[in-house]
Amino acid sequence: MKKEFTCKVVSKKMLNPDTAYLTIKCPDIANEAVPGQFVNISCSLFLKRPFGIASVDKANGTFDIGVKVVGKGTVEIAAFEEGKEIEVLGPLGNGFTFDPSKNYILVAGGTGVFPINFASQHLREKGIPFKVVEGFRNASQVVLNEPDYVLCTDAGDIGIKGTCIAGLDTLDDEFVKNSVLCCVGPLPMMKACGNWATSKEIPSFVSMEQRMGCGIGICLVCVCKLKAEANGEEFKHVRCCKEGPVFPFEEVIF
Amino acid sequence: MSSINVKVGNVELKSPLILASGTCNFGHELSEYYDLSILGGLSSKGLTIKPRQGNEGCRVAETASGMLNSVGLQNPGVDYFIDNDLDYMRSLNTGVIVNAAGHSFEDYIAMVQKLNAHKDKIDALEINLSCPNVKAGCMTLGADPVQVKQIVSLMRKETDLPLWIKLTPNVTDIKAVALAAQEGGADAVVLINTLLGMVINIKTRRPVLHNNTGGYSGPAIKPIAIRMVAECSKVLDIPIIGCGGVMSYEDVIEFMIAGASAVEIGTGSLIHPTLPVKITNDLVRYTEENNIDLKDLTGTLELW
Repeated sequence: MKKEFTCKVVSKKMLNPDTAYLTIKCPDIANEAVPGQFVNISCSLFLKRPFGIASVDKANGTFDIGVKVVGKGTVEIAAFEEGKEIEVLGPLGNGFTFDPSKNYILVAGGTGVFPINFASQHLREKGIPFKVVEGFRNASQVVLNEPDYVLCTDAGDIGIKGTCIAGLDTLDDEFVKNSVLCCVGPLPMMKACGNWATSKEIPSFVSMEQRMGCGIGICLVCVCKLKAEANGEEFKHVRCCKEGPVFPFEEVIF
Repeated sequence: MSSINVKVGNVELKSPLILASGTCNFGHELSEYYDLSILGGLSSKGLTIKPRQGNEGCRVAETASGMLNSVGLQNPGVDYFIDNDLDYMRSLNTGVIVNAAGHSFEDYIAMVQKLNAHKDKIDALEINLSCPNVKAGCMTLGADPVQVKQIVSLMRKETDLPLWIKLTPNVTDIKAVALAAQEGGADAVVLINTLLGMVINIKTRRPVLHNNTGGYSGPAIKPIAIRMVAECSKVLDIPIIGCGGVMSYEDVIEFMIAGASAVEIGTGSLIHPTLPVKITNDLVRYTEENNIDLKDLTGTLELW
């Protein structure tokens, strides 16, 4: 049976003035979670808030989330301190699946860096070759960047000036042609990255987001549009939280 | 002897707690969290004749003590449900309530006919005359006592299954609509569906919901539901199923005192999937500690 967990925040650091990084104790979630999955975290507001899992530490039974302040809920959650007790549901949704015979191109935009960080941790542990391309608005927004990542900023004050596409174009063709692209970020960015992958004739996966209610598939509010199967309909609505959040790019209607 | 068993007309339920339509789908997802056989029943996602993809864009808005939804009856259609989900619901060993919605009298009658053909697997039909998120039928129809009486009497001719009529609170006089349902031949009324509301994003000056309005649910609406149950309890001969903002066993008891024979929980499950387990355990403890039969509480309200 799945459970509702009461967990403790075991450490907290600020990555920049409006982005917190929390480590939360929950051995069940640490053991089960796969990259691309998310957790629902309680605060004093009515609904729980979803966060992509940023990393797991199975030995210590902890997982991490990144919290970018965007509204009342994230203001509160970003202010959680060590020892804070919270309710957590998870791991939720379907994450990425990785084929050991492939290379992976991980593309992160904005808060997409958190689930992409978990994907890179997983691929590193499995010894699967991968490259990471990160895109941010400007240098002050850059978080979880590593020296071997391809960094792009709209402002150009650090890294390549331009979108993630400019970063993707720097990748070696030989690496790209045996790759699968996994992308988490804003919709226009995921659409552009999916189209880039299609132009290179490689498969791609995107992680869809919509305002969420329950996170477990019973309220049907967080739907996105997929191309319908041959039943005469133009599209079908599927739940980001249950069938997703990760979908093959070619199935999504942006 | 203490007990939490209740009866809604002739329908015997092992607990007053029923999962409300639209907050439990067909039971698959919540079965991953607990054994649904502890419940009095489960009311299916609102079904329509044809599959519906529901409304587009943002479908949820949070408030201080509740939420608005504008799902718009996304469902796989009644035929798909009968072929794929009804047997599963029956296998859960709990009351099987099938929620049916429509755009017209013809839709509702066709729904009842289709479901009546599987009446051995269904404990009650819950007729949705109250969804606020579709353009026709449902709430529009359910706010008019004349049409409510007509549609219920037409459905009554099609089935012996218990007909529970889920009513909208978006009316001036709930008693008139509930009495119309009773006169049409309803076996029970379900009070209440969601309240019509709006939330505005002050930055964009647009409603948060792309449907502009949505159905308001959660603890904020409980006093309205309690008031409507209490009002209707005084004038109806048929049983009432209470619904609206249940988050605790005290809420269930409050609804029963107001006049409910059973109580639905909806938004509470969305926030805490296992909340019905806690409420059930608390109800058992409450009846044991007080040595009461829970159903004896129904309608024990004394007004000032």
